[in-house]
Amino acid sequence: MINAFLVFNGQGQPRLTKFYTQLDTSIQQRLISEIYTLVSNRPAGSCNFLPLPPLLAASGTSQSASQPHNDVPSLVTYRCYATLSFIVISTSTESPLALIDLIQVYVEALDRLFENVCELDLIFNFETLHATLGEMIVGGVVIDTNTDRIVQGVRAQGTVAKRPVNEGRGAGLGSGLGMGGNFVWHGR
Amino acid sequence: MFEKSLYDLIRGLRNHKGNEKEYIQNCLKECRSEIRNQDMDVKATALLKLIYLEMVGHDMSWASFHVLEVMSSPKYHQKRVGYLGAVQSFRPDTEVLMLATNLLKKDLSATAPTIISLPIGALPHIITPSLALSVLPDLLPRLSHSHPSIRKKTIVTLYRLALVYPETLRAAWPKIKERLMDKGEDPSVTAAIINVVCELGWRRPSDFLPLAPRLFELLVEGSNNWMAIKLIKLFATLTPLEPRLVRKLLPPLTDLIRTTPAMSLLYECINGIIQGGILGDGENFNETEEIASLCVSKLRGMISVGGDPNLKYVALLAFNRIVVTHPFLVAQQEDVILECIDSEDITIRIKALDLVQGMVSSDNLVSIVSRLMRQLKSSSSLDQQGGLQKQDHETDSSDETNGGTGRKKKSREQPAPLPEDYTVDVIGRILYMCSQDNYSSLLDFDWYLDVLTQLVRIAPAPRAKDLDPETSTQAKYLTADISEKVGNEIRNVAVKVEAVRSAALQAAELIITRLFRVTSESAASHLAVSGALKPVAFIAGEYPFQLSSPDDTLGHLLHLLPRIKNPEILATCLQAVTKLFAFVAGDDRAPWTTERKSSMSLLMARVVHVLEPLALHPSLEVQERAVEFIELLKLTAEAASGQAPSTDELHQDPPLLLTQAIPSMFNGWQLKSVSYGAQRNVPMPEGLDLDEPIHPNLGNLLAQADSLMLPIQDDDEFEAYYNNKPPATSISSEPAILRLADAPEEVSSSYQQAGEESYLDADIVARRKAERMERNRDDPFYILESGRSGGTSTPIHNILQKENGPDLDIDSIPIMKLDLADIDAGLGSSGKLQTQRPLSAALSRPKPRQKVIVAADESLGGSGPSTPRYDSENNSDTFAKSRAKKLKQSLLQVDSSHLNTLDLDASTGSSHLGGSAYDPEKQQQDEAEMAQAMKEVQRLRLEMQRAKERIHVAHGVPAEGIVVKRKKTKKAAKAEGDEEAGGGDGGEAATKVKKKKKPVVVAEEGREGEGVVKAKKKVKKAVEVEEN
Repeated sequence: MINAFLVFNGQGQPRLTKFYTQLDTSIQQRLISEIYTLVSNRPAGSCNFLPLPPLLAASGTSQSASQPHNDVPSLVTYRCYATLSFIVISTSTESPLALIDLIQVYVEALDRLFENVCELDLIFNFETLHATLGEMIVGGVVIDTNTDRIVQGVRAQGTVAKRPVNEGRGAGLGSGLGMGGNFVWHGR
Repeated sequence: MFEKSLYDLIRGLRNHKGNEKEYIQNCLKECRSEIRNQDMDVKATALLKLIYLEMVGHDMSWASFHVLEVMSSPKYHQKRVGYLGAVQSFRPDTEVLMLATNLLKKDLSATAPTIISLPIGALPHIITPSLALSVLPDLLPRLSHSHPSIRKKTIVTLYRLALVYPETLRAAWPKIKERLMDKGEDPSVTAAIINVVCELGWRRPSDFLPLAPRLFELLVEGSNNWMAIKLIKLFATLTPLEPRLVRKLLPPLTDLIRTTPAMSLLYECINGIIQGGILGDGENFNETEEIASLCVSKLRGMISVGGDPNLKYVALLAFNRIVVTHPFLVAQQEDVILECIDSEDITIRIKALDLVQGMVSSDNLVSIVSRLMRQLKSSSSLDQQGGLQKQDHETDSSDETNGGTGRKKKSREQPAPLPEDYTVDVIGRILYMCSQDNYSSLLDFDWYLDVLTQLVRIAPAPRAKDLDPETSTQAKYLTADISEKVGNEIRNVAVKVEAVRSAALQAAELIITRLFRVTSESAASHLAVSGALKPVAFIAGEYPFQLSSPDDTLGHLLHLLPRIKNPEILATCLQAVTKLFAFVAGDDRAPWTTERKSSMSLLMARVVHVLEPLALHPSLEVQERAVEFIELLKLTAEAASGQAPSTDELHQDPPLLLTQAIPSMFNGWQLKSVSYGAQRNVPMPEGLDLDEPIHPNLGNLLAQADSLMLPIQDDDEFEAYYNNKPPATSISSEPAILRLADAPEEVSSSYQQAGEESYLDADIVARRKAERMERNRDDPFYILESGRSGGTSTPIHNILQKENGPDLDIDSIPIMKLDLADIDAGLGSSGKLQTQRPLSAALSRPKPRQKVIVAADESLGGSGPSTPRYDSENNSDTFAKSRAKKLKQSLLQVDSSHLNTLDLDASTGSSHLGGSAYDPEKQQQDEAEMAQAMKEVQRLRLEMQRAKERIHVAHGVPAEGIVVKRKKTKKAAKAEGDEEAGGGDGGEAATKVKKKKKPVVVAEEGREGEGVVKAKKKVKKAVEVEEN
């Protein structure tokens, strides 16, 4: 199952935090900053999987790395789009490559909702971010991966606010997202 | 009236760069007052702002009651904010949760699908067993809701309910199964069910075997790749139970592997085949050979150089699973896997390391460890430059918006944790690989000792301070741990392998000397001493006769003693110092001359001087040892000064205390390595009663001891002597050049051992060469230069000369002829096989196993485990144990172990559950009691408040009156949720609550009485105040 879904920007400022277990705010923040450190130190061209951050590693890596317990979060998948990093922490019951796609689906859905989404949209509409995620993942289990249905589900909850007019447009996330690029594993 | 909207808050944050902290504090203050506002709009906006600030790291647990208020708002957009607040901010200890039950039930039975979605989406985050019990009846009907999205979400939420309250499944599973079997069901709902079944499946695969036909059907239909992945994962857990499935599955899986365009599906097919044990075991391997080779070749293709890093990673993951059952299949891929160890990407490296650890053998050990050592060496030399770059990077990135400042500061002070963790990890693995199976893969112990010596230098120094106390203890533990582990290895080798003991001791000497040099160079006393010192000092004390210069070692240890912080290391070093002293001073054949007398008394004075402060050390172990040794040495010093030195005429023996008594304390049996767990096999002595008091009146004795005043020894003389000028030179005899800078690294790389120089420090390599020369002195194939070396000596030469005498100059030694066959033959026939190292890189023949005996661990009885483990010391450590226990449950883990006890087969279910330790009914009852108590407290508080407001109050207000009044009081808002929970009970829920109340009625009455009395007192006070 999925244990957490996080979004933060290039400076490590969280844009969306969703933990599927109850966790103290301070520990959440520590975990985010640990993952941010890991993400920001990745060399170019490395894979989309992170080593376990120290907070999670303490129980995981050592002896029985080959036979992880299925309840223990053992996989941290990340993917960067323009200024944002999307993180999924999951157990071994999820497929690593499919998780990369899952992030892609999420971003595609946001892009449909905001029309060429950028970081500013996410900053000012974090409620919509939660709503979109809620249409994809409930309680750590993926319920839908179809962009149309996700977008439809979010729209059914009310109009999605447009980005404030007087805010300058930052670098369009969408244009930098490389949507549908070379990463699509399942060949939709 | 001008409340900030969320939009204003975020804009404000962006406009207050630099002082976000202050701005946020102000905003929090505003939110605190706004959230108490009567206007629901203001309240909801304040809550939304708080949720935003919570995301940035500002606790909002105090607002949980207000979250409830907003949740109960009739307007959807406000309700949504309330539910979001609950999801994001409720923690296991949030008490208001039990007040939300009725609200959740009400919203679950709402008509609008959007409203139903809210509680369904929120429940997984806040679920407790009692909550699960009470919402289950409302949740179940939602499984047949007309809206597929509601059905999907309900299924998942039921799964999360089942995790905390397994009985959920008994009611829900038949319905979920019905949905799964229904071919007309919406495909997305089916996919969601498969996801849930996949999560449940690995826990109790046998329950899901009956579903296999339907699952197979879904797999073959193959409409949805996401679902196919999960199906394959599910089948992988089913096949071990039902081997016949394998034959059925193979065709579609092979087909998928060959045809699917989706890489993720391809990978999961291979993975499923591996995990499901379809690769086959020894007997029927031929049957599945085709598929096995297909899988392995596909995986190899994924790993090979230039490929996609993600594929590399997942292929390594898959190999990691194969290696457990089919090591030979993986061993064939050794070449590509070893390449991954040097990958830029640390994730890939770690996975490759996991793998390599499993396939290490005596053939590839040296090459693998060399690779790792080279990595460590280069990264440790880059450290200083790395630090600078990092800071630049941090300052660059410190623009942009809100609240991150606090954290940013943190990360600037804290170096990136990754490199250090990785280093520690790699060192641990090297030790593990070399030492596994009692060193069976290790051919060359001299090489191993050199590697260990190098590792002690590379091992990250324990950090002096950390920000968070919790992490700091953890980090310190880890790093101190690793250098100690390296030291332990040196000690293990010294104890177990007698043939290389002297080499091990030299390595120990080298480490101590280096530590001494490092600490004396940097005046800073904060420099923590490496954990390796403990085991290294131990062997130095245990085998002093193997040391090349016990005097120097003693001097260095004495120098280090005051700098050691860790009491455990200190205690061991104290013992080592005394043992060394006994060895140095205890020579009974040397004549008792004037010089010897004076040098002995100086030495004893120095030891006593160093030990004296430790007599007051907070650690009892250190204190005790120090006191004992001080007293002993003082006694000996007295004896020594009383013994007149022998002159030409009169022969005098050295004092017996020095030559006999002290050494006899340490020269006993030789130490052998004892197996881990052997202690447990020691029989308990009869008549041992640990509960028996040591002394009937111990407390009194201790009190007496406290009041006793001990005269403080006054040895100003020594004090002054040592404070004026530390006589380091009087004991250590090292050449001055050693105190200069470390040996430079520009040693011309030799054609021998070219590989080692890349990861061993120059002086270690030099020492090796020197050793080799020494060993080959009698070898006819080497010609030693007879003349002395010229005056063009580098510091390296000095070290060599110091250790080997001045008549060696390695670089000028010509090698006449290399005929390896002859060497082997010669050595073989002589029967005394020495270590034979490869003299040229081209040597490819298998190395003969060095004929050394590795002592096995000793054990008692044999019932206990006797496998050696390289971290046995740490296992016995209670701290480690408790820590491990604490961490057993990982941070984000959702514990699904409760499900183990549940049998989906309803007929046998109840008996199963009866035996389980978990009792939801009991907890339910407790919580109901708690809720009751809380309500009571709330009621009394309101009563008191009311009493304060109304001056003239009649005694014994009827309880019913309060409810009415409450609405008018200022606190009305707060009470609303309470009321909802208490008063709003409808239908079946009400009867349940009543049932629950029964056991607490008595307690309630008692409390009521108390409360009334209290209230009366308060009232009196209030009246008094009014009158004044």
